[in-house]
Amino acid sequence: MSLSLPHGFLTSTIGKKYLMGLAGAVWAGFVLSHMAGNLLMFISADAYNSYGHALTSGNIIYAIELILVGTLISHVFLAISLTRQNRAARTSGYAVSPRGEKVARFGSKTMGVQGSIVLVFIISHLITFKYGTYYETTVNGVVMRDLYRLMVEVFQQPGYVFWYLVCLVLLGVHLSHGVGSVFQSFGLMNGRYQPIFRKLSLAYAVIVALGFIAQPIYIYFVASLG
Amino acid sequence: MSELTKKINLILKVWRQKGPKDVGSFKEYEAKGVSTDASFLEMLDAVNEELISKGDDPIAFDHDCREGICGSCGFMIDGEAHGPQKSTTVCQLHMRAFKEGDVLTLEPWRASAFPIIKDLMADRSAMDRIIMAGGYISANTGGARDANSILISKNDADQAFNAATCIGCGACVASCKNAAAMLFTAAKVSHLALLPQGQIERKTRAERMVAQMDAEGFGACTSTGSCSASCPKDISLVNIAQMNREFLKAKVFKEDQVDVGGGF
Amino acid sequence: MSKILDGKIPDGSIDKKWTDHKFKMKLVNPANKRKHSVIVVGTGLAGASAAASLGELGYRVKAFCVHESPRRAHSVAAQGGINAAKNYQNDGDSVYRLFYDTVKGGDFRAREANVHRLAEISVNIIDQAVASGVPLARDYGGLLDNRSFGGAQVSRTFYARGQTGQQLLLGAYSSMMRQVDLGNVQLNYRREMLDLVIVDGRARGIIVRNLLTGEIEAHEADVVILASGGYSNVFYLSTNAMACAVTAAWKAHKKGAYFANPCYTQIHPTCIPVHGENQSKLTLMSESLRNDGRVWVPKLKDDKRHPSDIPDAERDYYLERVYPSFGNLAPRDVASRQAKYRCDEGRGVGESGKAVYLDFRDAIGRLGESKISERYGNLFQMYEKITGENPYKQPMRIYPAPHYTMGGLWVDYNLESNIPGLFVAGEANFSDHGANRLGASALMQGLGDGYFVLPYTVGNYIANTKLEKVEKTHDEFKRAQETVKSEITKLMNIRGNRTVESFHKELGHIMWEYCGMGRNEAGLKRALELIPKLREEFWQNVRVPGESNYLNPELEKAGRVADFLELGELMCRDALERKESCGGHFREEYQEDGEAKRDDENFSHVAAWEWTGANSPPVRHKEELKFENVKLATRSYK
Repeated sequence: MSLSLPHGFLTSTIGKKYLMGLAGAVWAGFVLSHMAGNLLMFISADAYNSYGHALTSGNIIYAIELILVGTLISHVFLAISLTRQNRAARTSGYAVSPRGEKVARFGSKTMGVQGSIVLVFIISHLITFKYGTYYETTVNGVVMRDLYRLMVEVFQQPGYVFWYLVCLVLLGVHLSHGVGSVFQSFGLMNGRYQPIFRKLSLAYAVIVALGFIAQPIYIYFVASLG
Repeated sequence: MSELTKKINLILKVWRQKGPKDVGSFKEYEAKGVSTDASFLEMLDAVNEELISKGDDPIAFDHDCREGICGSCGFMIDGEAHGPQKSTTVCQLHMRAFKEGDVLTLEPWRASAFPIIKDLMADRSAMDRIIMAGGYISANTGGARDANSILISKNDADQAFNAATCIGCGACVASCKNAAAMLFTAAKVSHLALLPQGQIERKTRAERMVAQMDAEGFGACTSTGSCSASCPKDISLVNIAQMNREFLKAKVFKEDQVDVGGGF
Repeated sequence: MSKILDGKIPDGSIDKKWTDHKFKMKLVNPANKRKHSVIVVGTGLAGASAAASLGELGYRVKAFCVHESPRRAHSVAAQGGINAAKNYQNDGDSVYRLFYDTVKGGDFRAREANVHRLAEISVNIIDQAVASGVPLARDYGGLLDNRSFGGAQVSRTFYARGQTGQQLLLGAYSSMMRQVDLGNVQLNYRREMLDLVIVDGRARGIIVRNLLTGEIEAHEADVVILASGGYSNVFYLSTNAMACAVTAAWKAHKKGAYFANPCYTQIHPTCIPVHGENQSKLTLMSESLRNDGRVWVPKLKDDKRHPSDIPDAERDYYLERVYPSFGNLAPRDVASRQAKYRCDEGRGVGESGKAVYLDFRDAIGRLGESKISERYGNLFQMYEKITGENPYKQPMRIYPAPHYTMGGLWVDYNLESNIPGLFVAGEANFSDHGANRLGASALMQGLGDGYFVLPYTVGNYIANTKLEKVEKTHDEFKRAQETVKSEITKLMNIRGNRTVESFHKELGHIMWEYCGMGRNEAGLKRALELIPKLREEFWQNVRVPGESNYLNPELEKAGRVADFLELGELMCRDALERKESCGGHFREEYQEDGEAKRDDENFSHVAAWEWTGANSPPVRHKEELKFENVKLATRSYK
């Protein structure tokens, strides 16, 4: 038996789906932790800023960023490659779209579009925050970046809030189908667990999306008043 | 036959294409006085009889057993493979599913791997080639042991049977936005992987059939579920998960080829 | 001149014949097998299993099917099951009992030796099917399950829900595809055989039309096997698939192969009744339904009450009444005839009065709906799709319909026709079912012929025959190609006013009326006047649209109907000559209390017809049938 990366795995549609799913799963895990960390803003600005500071002050962040960038790029490239293959497999559509019981599952048919928008969102999000205005603050004697202030500034603008809302809903939709599909691609679905996995992935997506959405909404409607 | 027999009139928009290399287009036909007890194909028969009488070329469609088991028939009715009813082939679809004045659009299966032959007929021989690439158990005639010496739990036998009921009609490919043949291929992979007789070739089968599926130019699975929803035999998506698993196992835990040497 | 044909039945006791014969047959050494080629026409159970097995042995096989894929052959539609003398149920079954039941079921018009061989190999068929992955039904202990079928008092029928034929065909098909993969079988799909080529008195090839391009191709080989199915579609409405035709067999017949017992046709008792003029085919409801369903009609004539409003006392469970020991499991010919009698008496049900009830009320009451659904779910679903009625709530309505043809090309014990090198297997031959086939025996015969008989007998033929190499450029091939082309041109050029379908329908009406469930001299003579007239009109007035060098389904149909128009006449002639009733051939003049009355003194023989040309009457040859093991007796299921 050999465990070397087998011939033909990476070029097969199923192999690509595996890797794409794997990369997607890394990001699905990341967004959950990102969302959970963000929730610290509901405790206090200091807690939020300290958390950000702790994350970025070690060297580990570079490793994490490397993994995230790597998986994102592979996810996107595999998606593009598979989409091209899929387009070639079906060059023309039908004159009429199905209406009844034979329609495709919600969210599944537009994964590419959702993904593309989410990608644009990720980049713009990085520009807005990671590379946005650098405010400073001091928490317990430690000088650190005041991301909280930046966030409040950003989310006082209705345009931003709206853009985040749209993108985060899309992220949720993307996740709800994607997380379930990862189980499918990895061959973990079977008759008994299928409905459970589907519900779990939906719940996961709803939690992540609502958790994120809560922040701009909170700031726009509540925090900014204070 | 049922007490509610009615006669209805329909408009059909049918894809007409003379041959594989010709350009096709939609043409409109009237189907008048169709009995709601007639099957969809019998309705088309009647339209064709009229076309022939008028000296026109009848609409070509594949069909044979007309009882939903041979897998010959199938086209899209209003964008749905085999029409609006679930678990039904188009030959089993009866006109009582439609109502007076309906306008129906009929199109052939569309997929690069299924070139159109004529009108509503597509060439699905790619599916035979997928079966050819290992969709079997290598059991030469004569060498079989007593059938009852292989015990198979009822559950396994039933599950394998469910996968084996695939009729190879191609509705899964036709309804998939990626024209993927995953459900078709997976049904065969699962059927044989679930049976003790299928174990010996389990890995090579999964590998080879998937490779052939890709080589034929079918797309990838995006789990939209439309294949299973359109499947006249209700083949479950679970089979695709099983095939994914079989494929991964085959690729990762592949036995090294033993050199058997030349001659003997 | 009428001849007496030799079935070449081996000597010895019935249970040793096949074993001895196998030993005495000459073998082809493995290296030489590669030098020989075999054509197999048809890829149903018989064709696919033959192609697979011969490919495994090393012959170069060319398989042909009219469908786009071999998996679509009509064997796929067989529902109920396959018999085998495994005696897994410990209920007294044995090879001898299966042999006995089949000879008796065939109303003593089958060759004993063939039937015994079939019973012997039945057990191997099940083993082979399971080995190739066919998911036959299992019980909770993991052993194979069985059900009962008509004409037998033991449970010997193996099944895969209501899709046994499909599963067995997929098994044989996948074995064949394996040989295609290995390069031993070359698959030619969407090809229709339109002529047999004979060189120096031996079958050496076929002419086919490529249905996609219209090209007329020649294919040569050392042996030709026809496994092209039966001819029930001569009745227009039958349970056969639309492409089922006599064409391949008929072309061979016109090249000299004798056609045996064409009048032996099976009318299946449990089909969904006809609903209107535009109906294109009939759907079978598996005989297995009679395991749990009870057949009845109202006792009152023209009783229009809803079935559930008719109390038990006013129902006539006529099969149970007339045949107390077999009841609802009486054989097909018997059950069909009884249904006809009831409807003729005016006690038929449904709008047309041409139907009887098949009722599951009692079985559902006894076993519950879920058990019934497990056994027959897909059949119930099929019924509901077609009729719009729910058979769990109200009884099914059924009526007999043409389903299977026991007649076919004449073959000897080796399944070789009278043309050397032309072998015929499965429903296309006449060999094993006599005048009536028992349920679940067609699958058995198809696979038996292909898996276990032909691989031996074809080898024996090759080993014993000096086969010169034949090229496709040989005059006989050219001539046959020209004949086929000119026939197609002739059809295309008629450009008449009637559609092919209308001729087929009219022929079907004639056949059903005069050569259907009941036949008589006057009717058959009438049919013999009507059919030639219809044929004449066909050749003057049929309209075949389109072009011949493109896919043209109407042209395909026209060719098939042309052959049915000739076959129909032969069937009526055969039915007229056979002045007795036996199995599926029921001559109204020869009966006793409504049961078939055989005339063993004068008709204990196979009638094999020789084609002598379009304008001269065919010659009736005979093969005498000897019954040395099963005593000739009046068949009784009472």
